[in-house]
Amino acid sequence: MSEKRMKSQSKEKKYVPEISKKEINELRNSVKTASEKIIAENIERMKKTAENRPKEMEYFDDIANFFGTREKELSEAKESGKKVIGYMCLFAPTELILAADAIPIRVNSGWYDTAKLGDRVVPVEVCPVVRSTIGAKMIGLSPYLELSDALISVLTCDGMTKLGEILSDYKHVWAMTIPRVKDSDQSLRFWNDEIKSMKSQIEDLTGNKINRKKLKSAIELTQKATKAFRRLQEIRKGAPVIMGRDAMLVNQTYMWDDITRWTEKTEALCDELEEMARKKLWACPPDTPRVMITGTPMLWPDNWKLPTLIEEGTPQGVLVADELCSSERLLYDPVGVDEWSMNDMFKAIGERYLMASTCPCFTSKDGNEDRINWLLNKIKEWNIQGVIYYVVRGCMLYAMEYTRVKKVLDDINVPVYYLDTEYTREDVGQMKTRVEAFLEMLTARIDL
Amino acid sequence: MITAGLDLGTQTVKAVILKDGEVVSRGKAFSGFDPTEAAKQAINAALKEAKLSLSDISHLTATGSGIEMAPNANSTISMMGADAHAGVFLFPKARTIIDVGAEEARAVKCDDKGVMMDFVVNERCAAGAGTFIEAMARALEVKLEDMGPLSLKAEHASPINASCVIFGESDVVTLIHRQESKPEIARAIFDAMADRVSSMVHRLGVNPDVVLVGGVAKDVGFVASLKRKLSIDLLIPEYPEYAGALGAALVAARRVKKV
Repeated sequence: MSEKRMKSQSKEKKYVPEISKKEINELRNSVKTASEKIIAENIERMKKTAENRPKEMEYFDDIANFFGTREKELSEAKESGKKVIGYMCLFAPTELILAADAIPIRVNSGWYDTAKLGDRVVPVEVCPVVRSTIGAKMIGLSPYLELSDALISVLTCDGMTKLGEILSDYKHVWAMTIPRVKDSDQSLRFWNDEIKSMKSQIEDLTGNKINRKKLKSAIELTQKATKAFRRLQEIRKGAPVIMGRDAMLVNQTYMWDDITRWTEKTEALCDELEEMARKKLWACPPDTPRVMITGTPMLWPDNWKLPTLIEEGTPQGVLVADELCSSERLLYDPVGVDEWSMNDMFKAIGERYLMASTCPCFTSKDGNEDRINWLLNKIKEWNIQGVIYYVVRGCMLYAMEYTRVKKVLDDINVPVYYLDTEYTREDVGQMKTRVEAFLEMLTARIDL
Repeated sequence: MITAGLDLGTQTVKAVILKDGEVVSRGKAFSGFDPTEAAKQAINAALKEAKLSLSDISHLTATGSGIEMAPNANSTISMMGADAHAGVFLFPKARTIIDVGAEEARAVKCDDKGVMMDFVVNERCAAGAGTFIEAMARALEVKLEDMGPLSLKAEHASPINASCVIFGESDVVTLIHRQESKPEIARAIFDAMADRVSSMVHRLGVNPDVVLVGGVAKDVGFVASLKRKLSIDLLIPEYPEYAGALGAALVAARRVKKV
């Protein structure tokens, strides 16, 4: 191969076709304008649904805008020399990023319109979260993805594995292999090694050493955040003082907000919610059917259609819990450290990300039993009356675990409905029919 | 007490009028571009037959995909909920109701009072529903109503794929090129549909007695194929396409009593 050809090949993208600057700009502007409208509209609808909406939600409404406060802050932080490290799956050890004085941001896309662009790179059969993230990068839509200096790609499902590879057309991508059988000693050893090698890469990029003191304060930071996070979910056990979409938005903003501030704001929100509960200021009638969602991650701003259909439905439902890696699974489990030695802290981080996860990319001696247990615990403790099993087309792992979940829930007589959809607005009518039939069934069962 | 049920389907609107727990009349109209107008026609036809006027109806409940366009509705019920009520009313021992309409197939499990306990709907595709037969009849140059009787003459089964109307049609073309006879192809079409519907029903679980309703229940070819696939007997009412409207009318009667 001639030297000239080699040189041109190294510049060439491996996956993504060339698009003219003009087209990129046009697309970015139109999708961004549409997205700003959708963000505002979603928030308006959420305000309208809640009978008593906590005042503290205002903060989260603001931080929910991708093209606002947070984008500005991140740009400024970068100008002052800070690094931003994006990640796709929640297995990326954020504590290490924080300990290196960098900013962790999750970058998966919830934009419907960019999924169509992703179709130029991968077939439509591929998971829309993946296609949409590719599309968002193609037109530079996501400020968080754009501002990332490197991306951590954890090889969970097939879609995420190849997404990292495709995004390497644009960014430094660090792959982390996660073992599929999680409850074995060798898996944990392997995963701990992955985390250790991630440490060096983060140190190299940021130029900051991760020492014991820094790692300890980073862990303490996420522990505090976890505490606030769990407090919010605890409150949702009672009669509804917060609508599910509002809670889900709070949970999700953790993915891109400043963690210290997010923790303070969430604690403040919880104070207000507890006060509301004392005054019996409910977000909706206390006898509203209590629903849980499990399945594919559901991402702001566009992919908000299912929770919207549930909470604006006739009859109405209220989302009181979920088992989504874009919401309640984000931060549910704290890093548990016995002794604050480097070794122990690493071990604790490894365990927190691997052992606690209920992601269907895992299997174990008894299958993904942890997920079943999570669901059963939620159903019992949060008094769930019905479960919607949500899957986007192309999301094999969640789709394949349905039969098992259905069987377990049938045994305890809790209705579950399998709802499959796409990154599109056009199927809302069909979805509405199904969701409302499900809610009607829950209401009829409660009336029996 | 007189109540009415209105089922705004994708292809036709059906109306049923109920007097003291008995069906007194039925009406039907093509949905077309104006489902609201079609609904008025359907209910007026039923009222005329029963020699009643709209003001005689104490409660009208609407169902169907066009539910939001229903005129004069006092309340609504989901299609699955309506199916469950109608199924148990028509056959008191019914616990599973399969409804195959023009654009959608669904199955509902219910209790002895007709309260829906679980349901499943075909995946966003009309291949398991009536439209598929229409498209395939066109490909075979056979009248829609002749498809069923034709398929019963088939001597063997030729498998085709019915994951999608479009791909299904190209499979049919392959059979035509293979010079399969029309009865064989017609049977293949019904078998493919029945495959889709039966796997959907199996996902839900089959609790006898099983009732089949919806417009497609009138097609002898489909019924024969579905019976074969499910290996059970199916109970089919005299007017299967009116089940949704009947269920809605029954719910309307319940709601009048509740008030």
